[in-house]
Amino acid sequence: MAGVALGELPALPLHTAGKYVAGAYVVLFALVLIYLAIMAIRLSRIERDLGELLELSESSGEEPAARRQSPSEPESTPA
Amino acid sequence: MERSSRPEAGLIKTNRRAPGGTPTASRPVAYGRGLRALSISTVVAMALALGLVFFYAPLEAEQGFLQKIFYVHVPLAIVALCGFVLGGLLAIQHLRTRDPRWDMRSYVAIHMSLIFAVGTLITGSIWAKGSWGHWWVWNEPTLVSFLIVFLLYATYQPLRFAIEDPERQARYASVFAITAGAFVPMNFIAVRLSTAYLHPRVLGSTSNLPGPMALTFLVSLVAMALLYATLCKYELTAKHARAQVRALRRRLAGEGADTTSRPRSAAPALQPTTAMTAHTAGRPGF
Repeated sequence: MAGVALGELPALPLHTAGKYVAGAYVVLFALVLIYLAIMAIRLSRIERDLGELLELSESSGEEPAARRQSPSEPESTPA
Repeated sequence: MERSSRPEAGLIKTNRRAPGGTPTASRPVAYGRGLRALSISTVVAMALALGLVFFYAPLEAEQGFLQKIFYVHVPLAIVALCGFVLGGLLAIQHLRTRDPRWDMRSYVAIHMSLIFAVGTLITGSIWAKGSWGHWWVWNEPTLVSFLIVFLLYATYQPLRFAIEDPERQARYASVFAITAGAFVPMNFIAVRLSTAYLHPRVLGSTSNLPGPMALTFLVSLVAMALLYATLCKYELTAKHARAQVRALRRRLAGEGADTTSRPRSAAPALQPTTAMTAHTAGRPGF
């Protein structure tokens, strides 16, 4: 069905000004792709920062727990 | 689905100011809200526009296939110029309310318009080479005026970067955005009134686009406007997420950590934005 519909469509005259038209549309998509690449870099940076923050929050959560245990049990006990 | 009473991730508290300048109420803002629907609409509109450009719009009698560039070049130019004006309007709102959110929106609108303006200049040059045989024509008022507007806005980021104090930076940048935003329509009208017409007219009394071409152009314009809105929203969401991560880092680093210092940047400061950071910094939220 889709093949038939595509067959009915007029052929694009790419031989005449095709390179200029292709160039213009490639510029648009290149700009969008570059922007997406920059966004991907930013996203990975945020992900890395969140990982660091998670580690930081876990370590700061362990500290008070250790402090609570230390007065009665000076030696660490297996979990 | 279970709903939590805690503030959603990505929400920030904002202080709305009364005309007198005192914060009146706090309301959460989510920059990422509606981003998925907007992205899908943009993809659909772009696909539809491309389909119409290449398989529906007839070939133009004089320029033939080269005229297809018109459907990307002109919407890019219109959206870029409208974005510059929008940046000025948002800057007015910033000066009225002193709310940094408006400065951030103005910054993002201008930043994105600059990218669209680069696209306009490149696609225009490609069209000029195919049509006139030259990449650039210096005695054509439309081209040169657009270049002047582009160069004017190219100074926006260096201006911001040159000012260290975030509040002064935001204020001066807003004044610049308003002045330059007023220059854009004036420049457009001046060019329209000039007599040397080499660049084809698209809008106005001299344009005579047939129905299918006009429809294709309108769809392309809507698609480009949606692309602009989507990219602006992505930018705002990313900047907000980054600010929240910084605020969280400060909070985990301890109450004594320096909450005001930030690396020097041209981008507006999204300082204490959340209820959490407002607590840490000891002052009202963003």
